[in-house]
Amino acid sequence: MSAILELAQGIQNSEIGTALAESTIAFPIIEGIHLLGLSISVGLIFLTDLRLIGVLLRRVPIIDVLHHLRPWVLSGFAVTFISGFLLFWSEAATVIVSPAFSVKFLFILLGGLNALYFEFKLARLTAVVENHEVVPVGVKYAGIASIGLWTLVIIAGRLIPYLP
Amino acid sequence: MSATLEVLNTLQNSFIGQSVAKSNHLVGATFQVFHVLGFIVLLASVVLVNLRLLGYGLRGQTAPQIAAETNRLIWLGFGFAVVSGTAMFFSAVELYYFNPAFKLKIAVLLAAAVLQLTLFRKVTATDTPNPALVKVSVLLSIVLWFGVGLAGRAIGYV
Repeated sequence: MSAILELAQGIQNSEIGTALAESTIAFPIIEGIHLLGLSISVGLIFLTDLRLIGVLLRRVPIIDVLHHLRPWVLSGFAVTFISGFLLFWSEAATVIVSPAFSVKFLFILLGGLNALYFEFKLARLTAVVENHEVVPVGVKYAGIASIGLWTLVIIAGRLIPYLP
Repeated sequence: MSATLEVLNTLQNSFIGQSVAKSNHLVGATFQVFHVLGFIVLLASVVLVNLRLLGYGLRGQTAPQIAAETNRLIWLGFGFAVVSGTAMFFSAVELYYFNPAFKLKIAVLLAAAVLQLTLFRKVTATDTPNPALVKVSVLLSIVLWFGVGLAGRAIGYV
């Protein structure tokens, strides 16, 4: 653990890490960009999940929702990851001691695995591809799991500065 | 001290203000969580309608059809953000009242809400909106709603 902490301290004390942390302009702007990136990526995932559950955009085929929103979700994630990486660079040693930080990554991993399972298994089922009236109930469960897991990511992320 | 600030201070000293301020700091964190979740739902719904208006997404549906479905979500997210935000504000009135990022956020938020209820409502009400009007609406909508998020996130740093 102390080796990890030392590494984090080293990252935070690096030239770029210090410059970011001390910048009164850059730091809040990167925080803002992180928020906008995750609002687009996680937010559009929430809307997709509501479609999978069957409460939103019911007239739009699931496959169309996936096709049209996927590039925006992925672009949003790219923005979120890059800004998140910069934030980590400037406060690595401060954030890794928060339990919420590791919990957040655990839920990102689970949310990501759920998304991969959905994309490579469920979204390729004939019933989904051909937009059948009834789709396997697993599609709905994947949507519910996705909403739950990404909500936990947001909660853990927001709690990083509060725990301890 | 201005009259407005006096009223706000009275509110801060009221039962609700004191309950939030003096409670465990995790209660404050809970409001922050609801605030950000509300904003995410709101922003994603706004983005979805804007993408359709520009012709980038869900072309099988018309913009009015998409807007009709996402409107509930927009106001649901807005409701969550406003209620949790109000609780946060009254727990630390002076902290927010004198904060330039907070003032900017509220101004941009009001502009965004007015846009949503006027021009944006107008262009999403018809299948054949004026293309120039669509572009102006989308631009204003993105700039204002993104601005709310950016200004809001800066409150803790100015």
